[in-house]
Amino acid sequence: MDSLINAAARALAGGDALGALKRVALRDDPSALALRGIAMAQLGEHPRARELLQRAARGFGAHEELARARCIVAEAEVALAMRDLRGSPRTLATAAGTLEARADLANALQARLIAVRRLLLLGRLEEAAAALTRLDARDMSPSLTAVAELAAAELALRSLRISAAQAAFERAHQAATRACVPALLAEVAEARATLDRPAARRCAGGVEQALRLDEVAALMASSGLVVDACRRGLHAGATWLPLARRPVLFALARALAEAWPADVDRQALIACAFRIRRPDETHRARLRVEIGRLRALISPYAHIEASARGFVLKLHEGGDAVVLAPPVDGEQAALVALLSDGVPWSTSALALALGASQRTVQRALAELETGGRVRSVGRTRARRWLSPPLAGFTTILLLPAALPPE
Amino acid sequence: MTRKTQDHHPASVHPAPVHAAEIVREYGPYPGADRVNGVTHDGHHVWAATGTQLVAIDPENGQPTRSLDCACDAGTAFDGTHLYQIAEARIDKIDPATGQVLASIPAPGHGSDSGLTWAEGSLWVGQYRDRKIYQIDPMTGAVLRTIETNRYVTGVTWAEGELWHGTWEGDESEIRRIDPHSGAVLERLQMPAGTGVSGLESDGAQLFYCGGGPSGKVRAVRRPKTR
Repeated sequence: MDSLINAAARALAGGDALGALKRVALRDDPSALALRGIAMAQLGEHPRARELLQRAARGFGAHEELARARCIVAEAEVALAMRDLRGSPRTLATAAGTLEARADLANALQARLIAVRRLLLLGRLEEAAAALTRLDARDMSPSLTAVAELAAAELALRSLRISAAQAAFERAHQAATRACVPALLAEVAEARATLDRPAARRCAGGVEQALRLDEVAALMASSGLVVDACRRGLHAGATWLPLARRPVLFALARALAEAWPADVDRQALIACAFRIRRPDETHRARLRVEIGRLRALISPYAHIEASARGFVLKLHEGGDAVVLAPPVDGEQAALVALLSDGVPWSTSALALALGASQRTVQRALAELETGGRVRSVGRTRARRWLSPPLAGFTTILLLPAALPPE
Repeated sequence: MTRKTQDHHPASVHPAPVHAAEIVREYGPYPGADRVNGVTHDGHHVWAATGTQLVAIDPENGQPTRSLDCACDAGTAFDGTHLYQIAEARIDKIDPATGQVLASIPAPGHGSDSGLTWAEGSLWVGQYRDRKIYQIDPMTGAVLRTIETNRYVTGVTWAEGELWHGTWEGDESEIRRIDPHSGAVLERLQMPAGTGVSGLESDGAQLFYCGGGPSGKVRAVRRPKTR
């Protein structure tokens, strides 16, 4: 509302963050603090930007609710860019409500979208999907539309709805083109490339073949039995049998499917399921028990017969038994594949699923985290592991543009 | 803080009369001008400061007649010959015929200045968050007098010996007449919800022209009759 604030806001709107800073660098009134915070965020100084925006939000009086709500939204955006998910979602929701009540729909939508992206980062996919469908897309600017469609695409990809993801990527691309923002276009292209990368290997009859995500989805939709070594479970038609918490059953199913239509030797089954090289009679008894459990579990789709030297898988209907393995072998690839469902996993659950010790899994996760291929939320025992988001989200573009009080 | 300042004023003992502001006409928004930071009146035209351009508007038909390219971030004033315009932390003296900046003086608030008007050989400068109005020497920028009020000051104008200023805090916006000596509030015109006053200028007769901030509009508000 005063001269230098207007001048700084004008510089900021023109992309001149340094020019804006120069004008208000020495001022500590809330409008100036807000402008400084946004300029800092655009320059990539996220911790400083948050501090300034927090001070600005506190500085605005009770009668300046609109300005305060905008500061809260901007701060939430910066927190998201820092991948700091500790902030209260309630504060953001209140700010969005204030903005809606004061007819600032663009910033209100942005606040709601930040909430969706936060849920995505936390791996709370169902809540994220519900919040996303509640958004009113009609009033969205092209850049906000692009971000919303990227979120929709990520949700679709995580649940392997490939055609839905492709459609969302296409809409995101169009919106980013309309917004004329090169960084946003690059982001859409980068996220879209996930569709073209090898996502898994198909192992059947001793032959291996790399699959893209759409081919994986097609394979799962086909008849037959797919033993999914990426997500640890069985696909039988439309049914999903998770075996992440039953590593012995999963190992047996995988060994049987790899050998299909041939049978597997008892000794080999014991070696892969129990990791014992010189079995005795007790292990053969244990194998019979575990095979019995697996048989009961998959009885609607297949049965397991005893053969002369071991066991063999027989499918009820036509179709093949196929193993879907991570694109490359090894502990780390298996972890990345397990996390690709987008939901949070604890270290102990990962260790149980992979049949490895927690310490081994922790070591692998630590290496993966350094490389940015997995990320974690929470601390100590509440720590959960997640795959990195598909789209990085260009924060700078989305900061609310006009902050001077009005 | 606002409450405290108010208590010191004699006006809180005898509350100033409050009326709803009567908006006579709205002008704009004009293409390429998405906000109005200040307004003035040169006897024929209304000038609106839109950030990068001073736009002259014919108040009869509402059409923009000409524009001057110059930085204009806050209040605007007219002394009978020249325009004065707050830009960043200075006040530019502008030739309205050419748009040329003839002289610049430092703004008294070092950039926290909002409204500007000319009266009795002085410039009067509103201070937004400081809730003050400075009277300054138009040659040197030296502060001659300080008037304190209890609201954020936006536009400032003198009309028939009365000092009026705009105020805009959050959702509340008013045009107020204050005592130029004590700063006491004498009369209040409340703007309707959703409309605010950024710049303020009297046309010398019965109207105020008010800048509408980010709405990009200029509104004409009827001035109450002098008692």
